[in-house]
Parts: sequence; C-alpha cells; structure tokens
Amino acid sequence: MKDLVCNGCSLLCDDVSAEIDGAEVKSLGLCRLGHAHLSESLKTLTASAVIRDGGKEDTVSIEEAVKQAGEALQSAKQPLLYGWTTTSNECIQEGLVLAEHLGGVFDSPVSQGTIQAMSHDIHSGKLDIDLEYVRNNGEFIIYWGTDPTESLHRHPSRFAVLPRGEKIPEGIESRTIGVVDVRETETMKMANHRLIISIGGDSELIEVLTSEVSGKSSITGPVQGIPAQELLSIVRKLQTSDCTVIFYGRGILNSNNADENLTAIAGLIGAIRESGKEAYALPMFPESNAMGVVNIAGNKLKQDLTSLQKLLAGEFDTTLVVGDDALAILPGPAAKALAQTNLIYIGRPGTFTDKKAMISIYSPDVITGIPNTMTRLDNQPFNFSAWTRDDVSEGMLGILSKLNGFVKK
Amino acid sequence: MKLNPMELYNLLPKTNCRLCEAKTCMAFATKLALGDVSPDECPPLLEEGFQEKLEKIREMVAPLQSAAETGVKLDESKCTGCGNCVVVCPVDVAAEPPTSEGKAAMGTATVFRVENGISKIINLEKCRRFPPDRLNCRVCEQYCCTDAIEIW
Ligand code: SF4
Repeated sequence: MKDLVCNGCSLLCDDVSAEIDGAEVKSLGLCRLGHAHLSESLKTLTASAVIRDGGKEDTVSIEEAVKQAGEALQSAKQPLLYGWTTTSNECIQEGLVLAEHLGGVFDSPVSQGTIQAMSHDIHSGKLDIDLEYVRNNGEFIIYWGTDPTESLHRHPSRFAVLPRGEKIPEGIESRTIGVVDVRETETMKMANHRLIISIGGDSELIEVLTSEVSGKSSITGPVQGIPAQELLSIVRKLQTSDCTVIFYGRGILNSNNADENLTAIAGLIGAIRESGKEAYALPMFPESNAMGVVNIAGNKLKQDLTSLQKLLAGEFDTTLVVGDDALAILPGPAAKALAQTNLIYIGRPGTFTDKKAMISIYSPDVITGIPNTMTRLDNQPFNFSAWTRDDVSEGMLGILSKLNGFVKK
Repeated sequence: MKLNPMELYNLLPKTNCRLCEAKTCMAFATKLALGDVSPDECPPLLEEGFQEKLEKIREMVAPLQSAAETGVKLDESKCTGCGNCVVVCPVDVAAEPPTSEGKAAMGTATVFRVENGISKIINLEKCRRFPPDRLNCRVCEQYCCTDAIEIW
C-alpha cells in the first residue's frame, strides 16, 4: 500500500493509501466517491487523443490534437476557456496564460456563487481558520444549506463532528451539532438541532437568531415553523459555546438571496464575537480545486462575471473545456449553447463534454501521481506525488504547456 | 430492531422543559432510540394526558432493554465510506488511536475499516455488545447517516 492524496472532492484526504493489484485497485480510507474516482482515473495513465468529424472518430497523436486544437482556438473570433475546478493549481496558472495569448475569456463554474462568497465581507478573500482548527476547537457546529453526507463524505468524521481535538476531548460528546436545510437530510441524523425551513427562509431565521444573541428578545413565537423553545435553546448554545463554526453550502448560495444570506451569517458571526465567544463561517464547495481557482484566477474572474450571458448570446464560437464536465454541470440553456460552439476538451474520457467535443485530449488525473498542487476547501495547499508507477505520462499540465507553446508560435 | 428518533420525538411533549438530563426533547428521543434512557425519565410524560403516548413509547423501546441477543449488520450498498463508524467506535479509538482524531483506520485491529470505498466489519468479536462487555453500545448505528449499520 502506498500513501497518496485523494482529489475525489475538495477535502483532499491525505491519510489514505492504495495499491494496484493487477487490473484492480485496493484502497484504505478512501470513501466511496474517492475510491470510484481513483479506479476511474487509473484507467488513464497515458495521455491520448481523438478527433471527431461528422460521426467519425479518429485516434490521433497528442501533437496532432494539440496542433488542431491550437489552430481552432487561434482562428476563433472569441474563445472561451472554461472549467478548471478539478485541475491542479499549475494547470490553472497555465490556463490563464493561454487565455491571455489567445485574447480569450477564462471562466469557471466558481463564477456561479463561489467567487461571490469568497469576495463577500464574510471572508474578504480569505478564511479565518482551517479545518484542523475546527477539529481542535469547534464546539457548536452548524451545517447550513449543505449535506456533507451527500458530497463531502468524510467532512464530519475527519474534522467537524466526530473527531477528538485539543479542546474537544470527547469528540462528538464535546460538540453540539445543528443542521438547517429545506428538507430532511441524512446529516440530520447526527444533529442535536434539526431545522427544516422553507426555501428562501434562511436570512429571516439567521436575523432572528442574531437579534436574540445580541440581547434583544425577538423570539416570541415560532420562526420559519421552528418552535420558540428550540430557537432559544440554539441561541443559548451560540452564547455559551467557546467556538461556533457555521458551514454554509449551496442552499445559501444557489438562491436569489445569496448576498443577503451571507450578510446575515456575517451578522450572526459578529454578534457572537461581540458576546466574547469565537465564531466563524466556512464554505462547503465540493469541487476538488474550487479554492485553487479562486486563489489563482479570482481577480481575473471578478472583473467579468457575464460570460454565461455571453455564451447564451452566442458570443463564443469556440470553447476549450478543461477538467470539468461542463455539459453536465451548466444549467440547461447554457449547456445547449456550449454544445453549439466548436468544442475542445481536455480531461478524462467518457464525460458528456467529451462525447460532444470535436477534439478530446485525455490526460492522466493528478491522483494517479502527477507532481502538482491542489488547494483544499479550507485554503490549504496539498502536493501530489508519484505513487503508481514511474511511467505515468504527462498530465494535463504538459498538454496545456504544449498548447501554449503552439499558440505562442 | 431500529427506532427512528423522529417517531419517538413526535410522541414526546416537545416543550424542551429541561427536566431530564438530555438538553432537548430531540436529544431525549435520540437517547430513547438508542436504549440509553427509559421513557419514565421524562417527568411530563408521566403526567396526566400523556398515558397513551407513554404506553406507545414503552412498547416501542421494550426490545432495547436487553442487549443479550445481538448482531451488527452493515449493508454495503448503503455505505458511503464516510468513516463515521471508524472514528466513533470506542474499540477502534483504543485499537488505533489516530482514528480518534478522524484519521482513516490503516491497521487490522479495529472493528471497522474502510476498504475500497466501503466500511467493512473486520473484527466483529471486538464489538462491545459481545461478551465479556455486553454493553448496550449503538454509537456506530447512531452516527451512520445512511442507515447502513443496523444493530438488533
Ligand atoms: S472525502 Fe473526498 S478527498 Fe476524502 S476520500 Fe472521499 S472523495 Fe477523496
């Protein structure tokens, strides 16, 4: 068994190991998602490429695919370079350079909520604590609009709910857990406080809690269907816990009220701090390197958040999709518009985007042992290193560098 | 046999009166579902008007009062490999201390170990429900969010 880092999600688990046994992979510690990602990734240890034309598909050399992709991008009126959330920090850097050379638009799924959250006053571009701090200190943990059981499987066991830490000697017995969502979630099974509220009801509830924490007796009856007794018991816990951590997710961000919700959470954090206790908000972005994109390309992305509108308006004639399965994750109309551009794809085989692309270049994933860096959900960098075998061929970075070299020429 | 804390909660007074040791009615319901408390430890339940609900709860929790006949079952199709069972099991924490800090189990001495993305019971005989301990411990079941673990 060899130690490795998993990039099946943004937790980048580094306490896991695996070995290749013939055609199979055996792993220890990787969750179901991580093991599936690793098994799938190990099918591509060598880069390869195909070109499609009118239903015909030809395997070509990497050099030929890079040449054709480079020519298509160079002759585009306006190319879009989209994706990046599952690629390494080095690839994102290379992608920015490529966009610059092409005069194209660099964009990523993080433009839909993630960038806004990280730029909001609640973080002002940085996080106050990391997940190790949560493990060691987090006494009252609230998952708000996020269900780690679904997408970040090991979050509760590694950091936030179950493990013991310096000031959490008894693990779960030393913590109180709250879960707020618009439906019953699996994570609620672990919670002391389970709050099911209506869609869009987040900020009302947060503001009532804030007001009560600040000493104004604003809870006189149920709010969002939650009985006053339950709310007051949460307020007492917010006031007495030495360290409260609110993990917020898509339920907070994927609504028309994202800004209002974040402002409300920031207000609650402020009120708790004013009462002399520690409180923090941390995001739950599941894409494996969303934080890497935010750190490296955030400033660029913030300058123009309208590329999806431009895509819908047909302003892009050619798209380079890197890493993400854009056709699977974009909203329907945007995916349809993207499929109508000349599509070039670099990533793993078998995705929707791959199948629609006129040029697909398959590159080994970082998890197979490409010595690159990714950034964990809490902004901590993690290095990947060779562990499978020495002859893993060049990863995505090598392909992007070749594309950059071609375009520069 | 497995009890749903929500069903028990719906039979409780839901006043969070704090007369019991648990802090809230929900916490009391969770303890009831685990067999950690008896319904008689909820003072308002013993008051007039609650007899029917009290009887119903007593009926529901009766099978939990003995852990003599027991088994632990893990439905691999429901398991996500989250590692909650590994980290929360007191036997695992003693057998491989890093698991208490959330680390994956790497050795062979724990009750649970996540292999190939799914938790496996690798030493069932070490479970505290079996002799010599015979404790009514159900923490793995309690913290298995996908209900993959079942104790009867
Ligand atoms: S939680 Fe995420 S990083 Fe950890 S093993 Fe699972 S998929 Fe991999």
